[in-house]
Parts: sequence; C-alpha cells; structure tokens
Amino acid sequence: MQTLKLNRGDIGVLLRGGSRPIRSWSEQWDAQRLALHLGVIVVGAGSYGAAMGWWRDPLQAAYVAAKFPLILLLTAAGNALLNAMLAPLLGLNIPFRQSFLAILMSFTMAAAILGSFSPLVAFLVWNTPPLSAGMHISRAAYSFIQLTHVAVIAFAGLAANLRLMHLLRDLSGDAGVARRVLLAWVAGNLFLGSQLSWILRPFIGSPGLPVEFLRATALNGNFYETVFRAARHLLNFD
Amino acid sequence: MDSINPIPPQVPPQIPPVAPLYPAAPKPPGETPEERAPIPNLMTVVEAILRQPQRVMYQLRQPGAGRLIALMLLAALVCSLVYGVVVGTFSGGSQLWIAPVKIAGGLFVSVLICLPSLYIFACLSGSQARLVEMFGLVAGLLMLMTLLLLGFAPVAWLFSQSTASVNWMGTLHLLFWGIATLFGLRFIEAGFSHSQARSNAGFNTWVIILILVVLQMTTALRPIVGTADSFLPKEKKFFLNYWGECLKSSPEGSLAAH
Repeated sequence: MQTLKLNRGDIGVLLRGGSRPIRSWSEQWDAQRLALHLGVIVVGAGSYGAAMGWWRDPLQAAYVAAKFPLILLLTAAGNALLNAMLAPLLGLNIPFRQSFLAILMSFTMAAAILGSFSPLVAFLVWNTPPLSAGMHISRAAYSFIQLTHVAVIAFAGLAANLRLMHLLRDLSGDAGVARRVLLAWVAGNLFLGSQLSWILRPFIGSPGLPVEFLRATALNGNFYETVFRAARHLLNFD
Repeated sequence: MDSINPIPPQVPPQIPPVAPLYPAAPKPPGETPEERAPIPNLMTVVEAILRQPQRVMYQLRQPGAGRLIALMLLAALVCSLVYGVVVGTFSGGSQLWIAPVKIAGGLFVSVLICLPSLYIFACLSGSQARLVEMFGLVAGLLMLMTLLLLGFAPVAWLFSQSTASVNWMGTLHLLFWGIATLFGLRFIEAGFSHSQARSNAGFNTWVIILILVVLQMTTALRPIVGTADSFLPKEKKFFLNYWGECLKSSPEGSLAAH
C-alpha cells in the first residue's frame, strides 16, 4: 500500500482540488494529516478572526482569533453524526470517517482562503478610523467593513463547497447524488453554524459595549428568533 | 363471382401497450450476496438500515425475522429516549424523564395503532406482504426516524440552551421530526414497492393517517417541551386548535401548557 507522506504541498493539492489525492485522504485516518487540517483551520480562521477583531481592540482580536476556528470545529463535530447518516440515505454510501474528513477538508480550504485574506482585511482595518470606545465611526465605514467580511467569508465558503462538490461527485459518480448530499450538508452546517456564531458573538464588536469573549446574553435567544423578530418589526406586525 | 364482404374479419382489436403503473420497479431485495447476509446485532442493523436497506427488507422476509424486528425496536427505543432527554433539557427538572417517556411512548403507540390499517391497506392494494413483514417495515421506519433524530440531537441541545421560547423549540423539534419522518417513509415505501401491490393509493393514505396520528399525539401528550402540573393534559384538544392557541397566546410562548 502506498504510504501517504505529509508535505507542505498538501494544502495546495486541497485548494486545487486534485480529486485522486483528496479522495485517498478521505478514505483513511491519518493523524498527521488530521493535525495539518486542524492546524490550518486554527491558524487560517484564527488569523482572519484576529484581523476582524483588531478593529475594535487587540484583546478583541485575540478573542475572535479563538472563536472563529471554534465555530468551524464545533460545526463539523456537532453535525458529524447527522451528516454521516444523511450521505447514505441520499445515495452516497460512505462511512462516518469519510463524511467527517470530507467536511473537515472543505472547512480547511475555507480556513486557508480566509487566512490568505487576513492581511488584506488587517490592512483595510488599519486604514479605517478605530472602533475603540468613545470614538465616532461613520455608518458608511462600519457597513463597508461588514460587507467586506460578508464577501470574503461567502467567497471562502463558496470555493470550499465547490471543491467538496467535486469530491462528492468523484465518490458517488453521480452529479445528482453529489448535489443532494452537498445541499443537505450545507443546510445543516449553515443552520448550526449560524447559531454557534450567534452564541459566540461579538466578532467585530461595538464601541458602545465592552470588549468580552462572550456577551452576558450569549444564551438568550437565538439567531433565527432575532431574524424573525426583526422581520416582524420591519413589516409592522408588532 | 367475386363479392365484397362488408363484414370485416373477426380479428380482435389490438390493445395498445399500457405503460406500467410504477415505472422501473427497483430490484427485489436479496439479489446480491451482500443483501442476503444475516444481520446479527444492533450495530449491524443500524449500519444496514442506513447503507443497505434492501438487506433489511430481505431479512424481514426470512424465517426468524422476529429477532431483527426486536433489534430495530430496541434501537428505536434507545434513540428516542436519548432524543427525549435532549428535549427535556430545555425545561430541566422532571421533564428530563417525562419528555423521553412521552416521546418514546408516543412514537411507539402511534406506530402501533397505525399498523393494522397499514396491513389492511396493503392487502386491499394486492400486496403479498405478511403482517410480520409489515411490522418489520414499520419497525424500520421507527428506527430510521429515531436514528436521524439522534443525529439532530446536538443541534437541538444547542438551541434548547439558548432560547426561552417554547414555540420556537416546539417548531424546531417538529422540523427535525418532519425530516426524520421523510427518510423513514422512504424506507417503508421502498419496502412496500416490493410487495407486489397494484397501487400506492392505500399506502399514501396510510402515510397521511400516520402523520396526523403522530401530530395529534404531540397534543394528547402535552406538555413535551414545556412543563405542567400534571403528567397528561386535563383538556382534550385537536392539534391544529392547540397550535393556533399557542401562536395567539404569545410569540415567545410560555413554559407551561406546551
């Protein structure tokens, strides 16, 4: 059996979407490769989180650097069982290990992309008036930073899921099955990930509120309730 | 003398080929050696129902299917109890044992009271399946449904810790149950399609009955998510009336009465 050697080019292979090596990586546990993926998630998503939180305060940067990778890892772990069940039920007969590693690899790709954008975001933040307490920040600047984060995170998620789609198509040999499995996984991961992000707020922070790891109201309400209430308020149903 | 016969020869009119009611029936269970492999234990039955449902269907037709059915029911019981504990964590206290008892009991009773009608509908549809096979398919439905609920349990737990709205949690559990039921029904429908039934109309009717029974059971056994003074409600209600009352009472919902 060919021994899989870990090297620095693995991330490049992952990003380029080389279907044969990625498929073989997903077929077996490899402690070193798993450590590399976890490392990329921690460093990549962490550095992007640091750039995001730095606008408010260096301490906020440290907090968000810890929280960002945590969201990816908790989402992968929290939905691992469900995703492993959904794959065979939707026509892709892969074991638990393979579904977990496939999702972890897609998160690794997203984290690598986020990490690569972190210097750009840091540069953007450096060029923006600080968000520290007592400072006045224009609504336009705040919105611009927010939209930049949305665009970067959406791009990272899209690219990672496109690569995951290639892998699923390769594994199933059927584009329809791959699409169904991907949609089910993405829906589940978005559902859980959104709530985890809600609990682990703040990320950008607010000049009117203190810098803290979690808000005191972290477990009060959920993301979807808030969206629902906002929609009700907007449509004057209150 | 030649004469023209006005009466056409007695040739029966050609009947145009009729398209089958169910296009391309799936291969019958047990076609491959893997599908004929026995299912000896709980782990194998869990694996088989997720990855090789045809294997389960084949084994349900073999002598000694009772053991397989017992294993599926055991798995369903364990999964529904665990999910029930997760549901109970929302309110805590006595709901930690009340919710699992109600969820496991409610699901088992719902399926049990629907089983005879499934058998009758199957017979009326021309199905050759025996009662034990129907029972096995229903046990498979229950097991697959509760397995998926177990998969949803981490997400349900996270939400139950971060919201105070009973309406929200009730809706979320119904959503998870709906998705799980969808997959469970796919399994039982696949099993039904191998039973030589002439039509699926009876089965589809039964599906509606099952869904209505389970939904009514959530109202009959209330509160499952919230808390109350008594184990069972004192007032009888139809589930749609009850849901309407819940939504009208408060968008947040109150812990009592759910």
